[in-house]
Amino acid sequence: MDIYLPIAEVSVNAPLLVALGALVGFISGLFGIGGGFLMTPVLVFLGIPPAVAVASMSNHVAASSMSSVISYGRRRAVDFRMGGVLAAGGVVGAVIGVEVFRWLRLLGQADLVVALSYLIFLGVIGGLMLWESAGTILRRRRNAPPPPRRDRRPPWLYGLPLKLRFPSSRLYISVIPPLLLGAFVGVLSAIMGVGGGFILVPAMVYVLRMPAGVVVGTSLFQIIITTALTGVLQAGRNQTVDVVLATLLLVGGVLGAQFGARASARFRAEELRAILAFIVLIVGLRMGLGLFFTPQEPFVLMAGAGG
Amino acid sequence: MTPALPPTPPQASPPAVSAALTETTVRVNSDFRGDRIVLYGAVFDPRSRPSDVVVIVRGPDEPIRIARKSRVAGVWINSRPVVFQGAPGFYIAASTRPLDDIARFGVLRRLGAGVDHLTFNAPPEPGVETRYGVRDMVVSRLGADYLDWRNAVVRLKEKDGLYAVEDHGVRFVDKGLFRAEIALPAEAPIGRYDVRILLFQDGQPVSEKARTLIVEQVGFERALYLWAHQRPWSYGLAAMAFALGAGWAASSAFRRD
Repeated sequence: MDIYLPIAEVSVNAPLLVALGALVGFISGLFGIGGGFLMTPVLVFLGIPPAVAVASMSNHVAASSMSSVISYGRRRAVDFRMGGVLAAGGVVGAVIGVEVFRWLRLLGQADLVVALSYLIFLGVIGGLMLWESAGTILRRRRNAPPPPRRDRRPPWLYGLPLKLRFPSSRLYISVIPPLLLGAFVGVLSAIMGVGGGFILVPAMVYVLRMPAGVVVGTSLFQIIITTALTGVLQAGRNQTVDVVLATLLLVGGVLGAQFGARASARFRAEELRAILAFIVLIVGLRMGLGLFFTPQEPFVLMAGAGG
Repeated sequence: MTPALPPTPPQASPPAVSAALTETTVRVNSDFRGDRIVLYGAVFDPRSRPSDVVVIVRGPDEPIRIARKSRVAGVWINSRPVVFQGAPGFYIAASTRPLDDIARFGVLRRLGAGVDHLTFNAPPEPGVETRYGVRDMVVSRLGADYLDWRNAVVRLKEKDGLYAVEDHGVRFVDKGLFRAEIALPAEAPIGRYDVRILLFQDGQPVSEKARTLIVEQVGFERALYLWAHQRPWSYGLAAMAFALGAGWAASSAFRRD
């Protein structure tokens, strides 16, 4: 059953998109990520113009994150204050990101920057996560004692001014690192069509040293705010949000996210991280390595003459 | 056939062509997956001289941005995009025989018949010079590469089904009665399409008819498209509110307590 998308101006298979939404939604709920980094490449592969895919993903990511953040909120697994600070940075980042994306499209370099961002960010983060979680799993198998935890938090995190107490995370740190982190993720959200959970989650664990229990919920909370803004800005500035596309994806996505959020309780955290690391690495390599192969067709048509 | 008839005086009735589309409006709605437009026509020629028919369908003009990938430090990146103006968003030339057999190069060029004879050019710093034996070729800053770029535009558009040359796309189904079928892909642009039906005899166009085909979005799709483009901010806000509401509703529906 094909359906015509009014903004993308292409027709797509509706059940396929719903199933895709459900699968990505499940992964999203399971790992506490938006899932945009998986969905956007698949949509582009299905023939949807990249600009429309990136913009419409914001709506989808916002919906599936909303669906799972409520479950996390009921379990008191969201640090709303930290999420708010991250989101404040994210708002600034999203505004910058939408304008940067507009400018890149005019230059014809949007594809390059998107592919490079995927390669660099997903490659580095996937690699680090895989390394860390594999180490944890191996040590448990060998019944080795966990390595002495370096609880000494980085001094720069504490030397900065504007300190704020985050009771849910049991932290008393400066707001500058989370603000910068939020802004960075906001820019990526607009350029890559992702929520940014795959960067936020590790950054909150390894840089901000937040307790693992609140990381996923807080990440989802910040993602909702950032992607909600990105989605509205993309629609307003670039007219690239296809509500029919977003709806098809979110029908599957919100359901999948519910099952994912429940399934997450059944796995060990390091195993989940290892699987996620694999997925992240594969997507990053798939998107980025294309840049190094000689293209069959040296020319490429760019959508939207106006930019 | 009435061979006993005396030869008709040449000025009595010149050959003429007539044609009609079976569909003059294509409605694009949610189950639009492209369409096939059928065109019927007739050739009126008392002398029954050998005739060729060419049907040209040209969609609304759309500027084309195209970039070329080149290798920089091991990575394939896009050049600055070049904009071609005046290119149709959709173009099909269907004929009874290959166009080159029907008429000479110059005739086809003058009529803009065939993708090789579409006039579109890249505006920055254009110059006119003779190249490849063709006069009045528009040469832009692309210089000698111009033809490569132009061919790439045609090749990529053909791959999407938006440009086509159908050498046997027009068929005579009966004496003087011909039929052509035009495939419109789902990606075909919205707007007004000009359909030209040309009758050729002895390599010269002797009669021409023009028809119009409208491709328009209707109903829900039309409303959404207009909303998104005319009032983008309210559209964006509503779309996001809907998304967040759906997420919240799903979460409530799944609540177990």
